[in-house]
Amino acid sequence: MKKSKLWSFGLIMLLALSVLLAACSAEEGTTEEPAETSEETNDGTTTEETEEAVPQILVFGRGGDSVSLDPAIVTDGESFKVTENIFETLLNFGEQDTTINPGLAHDWEVSEDGLEYTFHLQEGVKFHDGTDFNAEAVVKNVERWKGGAEEQFYYFNSMFKAEGKDIIASVEATDDLTVVFTLSRPQAPFLKNIAMSPFAIASPTAFEAAGESFGDNPVGTGPFTFVEWKRNDSITVAKNEEYWQEGLPKLDTIIFRAIPDNSARLNALMTGEIDLADGVNPSDAQTVESNADLQLIERPSMNIGYLGLTNTRPPFDNKLVRQAVNYAIDKQAIVDAFFQGRAEVAVNPMPSSISGYNEEIAGYEYNPEKAKELLAEAGYDGGEIELWAMPVPRPYMPDGQKVAEAIQKNLSDVGIPSKIVQFEWATYLEKAKNGEADAFLLGWTGDNGDADNFIYTLLDKDTIGSNNYAHYSNDEVHELLIAAQSETDEEVRSDLYKQAQEIIHEDAPWVPLAHSIPLLAGKKGVTGYLPHPTGSESLVNVSIE
Amino acid sequence: MPELVSNSVNLNVKEEKVVGPWKVAWRSFKKSKAALVGTAIVVFFILLAIFGPLIAPEGINEQKLSDPSLRLAPPSSDYWLGTDDFGRDIFSRVVYGARISLAVGFLSVILSVVAGSFLGVIAGFYGRFIDTIISRIFDIMLAFPSILLAIAIVSILGPSLQNALIAIAIINIPNFGRLIRSKVLSVKEEEYIVAAKAIGMRDSRILWRHILPNSFSPVIVQGTLAIATAIIEAAALSFLGLGAEAPQPEWGKMLADARVHLMTAPWTMFFPGLAIMLTVLGFNLMGDGLRDALDPKMKN
Repeated sequence: MKKSKLWSFGLIMLLALSVLLAACSAEEGTTEEPAETSEETNDGTTTEETEEAVPQILVFGRGGDSVSLDPAIVTDGESFKVTENIFETLLNFGEQDTTINPGLAHDWEVSEDGLEYTFHLQEGVKFHDGTDFNAEAVVKNVERWKGGAEEQFYYFNSMFKAEGKDIIASVEATDDLTVVFTLSRPQAPFLKNIAMSPFAIASPTAFEAAGESFGDNPVGTGPFTFVEWKRNDSITVAKNEEYWQEGLPKLDTIIFRAIPDNSARLNALMTGEIDLADGVNPSDAQTVESNADLQLIERPSMNIGYLGLTNTRPPFDNKLVRQAVNYAIDKQAIVDAFFQGRAEVAVNPMPSSISGYNEEIAGYEYNPEKAKELLAEAGYDGGEIELWAMPVPRPYMPDGQKVAEAIQKNLSDVGIPSKIVQFEWATYLEKAKNGEADAFLLGWTGDNGDADNFIYTLLDKDTIGSNNYAHYSNDEVHELLIAAQSETDEEVRSDLYKQAQEIIHEDAPWVPLAHSIPLLAGKKGVTGYLPHPTGSESLVNVSIE
Repeated sequence: MPELVSNSVNLNVKEEKVVGPWKVAWRSFKKSKAALVGTAIVVFFILLAIFGPLIAPEGINEQKLSDPSLRLAPPSSDYWLGTDDFGRDIFSRVVYGARISLAVGFLSVILSVVAGSFLGVIAGFYGRFIDTIISRIFDIMLAFPSILLAIAIVSILGPSLQNALIAIAIINIPNFGRLIRSKVLSVKEEEYIVAAKAIGMRDSRILWRHILPNSFSPVIVQGTLAIATAIIEAAALSFLGLGAEAPQPEWGKMLADARVHLMTAPWTMFFPGLAIMLTVLGFNLMGDGLRDALDPKMKN
């Protein structure tokens, strides 16, 4: 009897408390679960009531989950969006361009011959686990990248290895805060490369201890520390109280939520579930602009969306057929219709903002008659081709299906029958990479704003099997691109790229379609958010009013 | 000899006086207003499908991308039901869509009726382990939600309208099979079948000439209703990207393509949706009327 009375008394108290707490939490607008025991919760509520400042929590809605949070091994944009906030690089890009700015290194020097780079590191920086950031940490990071296999450190291998040889011959810590990189041959975009998100400096203590699982428990020097990761749902990072830059970051917590469907994500923004929405359909731009509570944000364009024509497969192994397809497609109409005009028609394989862009190339005009002539000349047999359309919206192409349908019509007008084919995204990339597609839609967002990152990465014969999905191979182009890589004179280098673009234009391995302006939307109160052209950025300056 | 003659005379007299079962059914069918409306709708869509090219002002894929005023244009005198985001006339596409939807509906149901009847008759007539095997397979198939099974089949065969049709036909087989089987079980005990067996008629002749025709009337009802479901299933598969391929104007695919314009250009979704709804409603009303007319138990 006594026991049961005690029980019921306890239960009544619990009920009363939970009512009280529910009322409090409703006022606070948080969804924190009430704690178990009475005394603790009482304390908790009183302190919460006295607290005036609302915690700055930003929910960032995006198209997919991250693959891993170890920036050195991932290649996808969704991973970098998070790692940019946890980690920092030696150098930073400008706020909305790809100029070189100080990062973890406040100063740097380049030797005359372009082979030695000396970085002077920021003092008093600590990793989230308390390890000191110093020259030794940088050396350990570079050695980790150098020692890894290609499939493990993809970006390091593609940027700093050529024909199996390391471009970074050695890294030395000359004193506690000075680190010297020695290159085996000059690399013009070296500083831009080192500023890329994959080359962020991670805590050596942490990655040595964690090994393979470092990606699940990332430790860097960035403005936010990793809290938790619910796979395919959300990643939470919290303010780094010890951050080395005074007064930053402004937010207390960022939650990255994955909402795959563009419309669903925008809806979530409208209902207030999220504060920022990545990947807004161009057709929804007006809806956002006409909503007084929302703002439309444009990401500066540094991408290319294209129709790749697999150069090793008939009928596209014939240059004349490829040129004919270039004439057959009405690019302007596609840009107007499915990018809602928020894009520029592409001529060359890289956007005009990048130095080395050849403005003298006119681009293939829309001319179905000319296309038919070329097809007749090529002796095209009228066989049906497969036209691959990407199954997911990408920043460089918001609606691949619709674009494919327009292209299908353009092609049938000149007598090329085609069938639109779709695969799940990973399969699509894999198969296209192996050269199994006839013609495929794809695109690329630049990593560092250098011409090399577009032309060499996408169209050199070395990159067949990685990013050269069209299997385009031209020795002359290859020589020009390799020469440009080690050329340090900006003028000469630009000239080499211009020559390469001319040959590529003539060979027509692709139909360049558009340089789009990716759209985002945010609540009116979100300030200080500057989307970066590379597609990922640190949210260190963002705040919510 | 005289006996024979008198016999045949008697038969003739009977046929003249007695109202045949089909006539009875038609009378009862006529009484239902809903059934007539349904039939009218079905006939309307069938005519639309047959005379599509004469009715539709445009082809199915006449894109007018370069003229922004013709893209997503609201209904007007030139474009009765407006245009979609490619500048294509929605009216023309809906008209041609009737061909696809009705063809898929009829063909898939015919396929499943043929296969289902065959399996059902065999199961019902021979019984024992053959019945057990066939019936259990039907049970397994019916244990899956039908659309899920269809999706699985299309994923194996590869997405196309033809494969969607096959998938829909397959998932409907057990419905017809079970229906026929149960009917066969009762018919085979009838005296005329026993008599046929007694005079030594071959099984195949008993099956196809006597049992099947006498077990078939519920299939007609079920078939009409199944066409409605098949049309919806085809639209659903196309909506999910597993059926019709661009630029086929399948109604479900038109809905899927227009989804992003729901707020800005509702006519792009409204009319294909309306077409699906009306056809399905038509077949359902007609099917209900047929059931009432053909089911002897419903007669007062």
